[in-house]
Amino acid sequence: MKAMNRRKLISVSAVLAAVSLAVTAVPAQAAEVGVSSTQIKLGMTLPMTGTASLGYNKIPGAAKAYFDYLNANGGINGRKVTLVVKDDRYVPTEAVAKTNELILKDKVMALLAPLGTANVKAVAASVNPGRRGVPVLFVNTGFSGFADSKKYPTTYAVLPSYIMEAKIMGQYIKENFAGKKIGLLYQDDDFGSDALAGFKTAGVNFAVKVPYASGSQSAAAAAGWITKFKAAEADVVILFGVSSATSAMLGVAAQLKYAPQWMLGSVGGDATTIKLTGVPAGVLYNAIGFSPVPATTDMNDDYVKLFSDIYAKAVPGSTFDLNVLLGMNSAFMAAQALKAAGPNPTRKSLLAAIDSKGSTFANSALVPLGYSKTSHVGLTGYWVGKYSPTGDLSPVGGKYVTYTTDSGAGAVVKSTYVRPAMPAKGLPN
Amino acid sequence: MHNKQSKHTLLFIAGGVVLYFLSGAVDELRVYQGASIAVYVIAISSIILLTGYSGQVSLGHGALMAVGAYAAAVARIELNAPIIACFVIAVLAAAIGGALLGAAAARLTGPYLAGATLALAIGLPSLANQFSILGGEQGLLFDVGFPPLSLGEEFTQYKWFFWIAALAALISMWAVKNILGSRYGRTWRAIRGNEVAAALCGINSARSKILAFTISAGIAGLAGAMLSMTIGTVSPSAFPLALSFSLLTGAVLSGITTLGGVMIGAVVLVAIPEIADSVANRLGSSERVTTNLPGFLVSALLIMTVLFVPNGPVEQFRAHKVKKANSKLEKK
Repeated sequence: MKAMNRRKLISVSAVLAAVSLAVTAVPAQAAEVGVSSTQIKLGMTLPMTGTASLGYNKIPGAAKAYFDYLNANGGINGRKVTLVVKDDRYVPTEAVAKTNELILKDKVMALLAPLGTANVKAVAASVNPGRRGVPVLFVNTGFSGFADSKKYPTTYAVLPSYIMEAKIMGQYIKENFAGKKIGLLYQDDDFGSDALAGFKTAGVNFAVKVPYASGSQSAAAAAGWITKFKAAEADVVILFGVSSATSAMLGVAAQLKYAPQWMLGSVGGDATTIKLTGVPAGVLYNAIGFSPVPATTDMNDDYVKLFSDIYAKAVPGSTFDLNVLLGMNSAFMAAQALKAAGPNPTRKSLLAAIDSKGSTFANSALVPLGYSKTSHVGLTGYWVGKYSPTGDLSPVGGKYVTYTTDSGAGAVVKSTYVRPAMPAKGLPN
Repeated sequence: MHNKQSKHTLLFIAGGVVLYFLSGAVDELRVYQGASIAVYVIAISSIILLTGYSGQVSLGHGALMAVGAYAAAVARIELNAPIIACFVIAVLAAAIGGALLGAAAARLTGPYLAGATLALAIGLPSLANQFSILGGEQGLLFDVGFPPLSLGEEFTQYKWFFWIAALAALISMWAVKNILGSRYGRTWRAIRGNEVAAALCGINSARSKILAFTISAGIAGLAGAMLSMTIGTVSPSAFPLALSFSLLTGAVLSGITTLGGVMIGAVVLVAIPEIADSVANRLGSSERVTTNLPGFLVSALLIMTVLFVPNGPVEQFRAHKVKKANSKLEKK
């Protein structure tokens, strides 16, 4: 009797599972997936909850704010752009599951700004957007590998790579701190090894290098780091880690009154995120920082002014920071790619448009884009600035000094790139 | 007894046939979700074996899954091992890890055991950053290859994943079922019931506990390899602490002492996020609601399970039936 019931229950639960799997709706296929006569559907996965979501969870709101503005001004040839957002909690398994939902259930035309190297890699391996022909626009990671158009045929990088950043930092050190003792704090994984590779190419010799394991950063650990930098008498300390490491370091340094010349990598250098953790703004004063896009407080900049206006109306009470600017910038670039893809955009024409015209897309960055038929490299450099007494990164003397380079052995050059004027009203032309 | 076992075998074969036809009838997303359910079925059954039968708690099964996943990926990349060998290596590697853990665990009980396994779940995956062969934060690719051409050109990669994972789930369920029905299963239940009494009956409780940990870890390792197959990569962030917790949640929802309900927990874990999504969409809720609803639903379900059906819906249903039958007998 007992065994009979158990069997029955197993079969009942199997049938239940079968039914839940089978209950599915297959919408009719349009001319192109995700494109109808009235709308274009894009999808995004990123951490919206969990520890990694801090700061990044503002990106969807920022991108949506821009698309709403675009839609209110006629959309893309009359089609409204909509964005479906899914939370992947920064876990590759979730990123794959959610991307599958976006492509197979929500039927998006393209993916926009997915975040995290491990996540994008897992999606590339499992979902395989390259084989499906699904464009993956402007991935939010500095891993240089995604620029490889052979390995990732439909994926486009946008952020400059960690290697580029380290090379440019190295160049700046040579020009400004020759003969000084340099210290480096870096994350003991591929993020850090990319940085070390870049510094090596730039020929920087460190007096002291302090690695930390991802996840181990804390105030107690930071006190230990400071001891090492003090022992080596470092004049300049580079913080090439994530925000939580930068914040821990600066917070403890403020207490211990330890004040070398700080140099902050862009990944952990967003002032709003650092200040949110309780680090006094004064500690950041005079630290050197790097960014590809203009200072978020620079209201003389057309893009910053327009984007911050749009964002303030769409998400009142939320600070306009680097994540917001980058999110809106990616949305703006996506809009231009869609516009360039012709009156009836398809996945194919979208990819072709970025390959052929991508390097000329207007956007807020002060350094050029590197898209071509053979390369999916995004932005190719940084400007160097200093943090103000209120802790905002701004160009020294109001003038942006930009450097460009590549992820290989190419030289770092002071850029003469002049950003094209913003198209009228910040709409794709 | 013999008759019962062959009935079980027949049942599992029948299950396989149902799944085979099912995989052809549903769309690609459902096939992918089916593969995820199969992965969870394997992982949850390893927890049920360990916690429900041998009475040991593990908050570190995510780490054991990681061991299996990394073993499989390294075997695939470095040794170019055939895919079946990769899965076998995954089981063996995780089982060895489990035996080591079990040796320590046999001396611990209650919160101490939970704490020790918790530390493992937190610490182990990030070890991957220390050895370049493990690929660091980005992880390693784990490619089981394209489905054989003989299955036809229409045969998708996800259907192939589903077939492999479903077959692994059926085999491991069948194996667990038989182990639990064997002498070892009875020994474990004896220890769970009363360790001193079991020892008085001549059971070596430490050895039995280590054995339970070893077998459970081996199955978890298989689940880990299956998980990394479905996402094509192995990386530390694929095995977060939250994974270990959700496996335990799935086991409690399934009914921690009954293997029969294992499907329930697995389906819930895969279906809840999607259900939450469509509920939130229909209600037109804000992003904050949408992103927090899945966690809320799972928690609510967990609390209700513990309150109303503490042994799981399957066990409750069975107890109810037995009670009914007994009262019928009494009336007669």
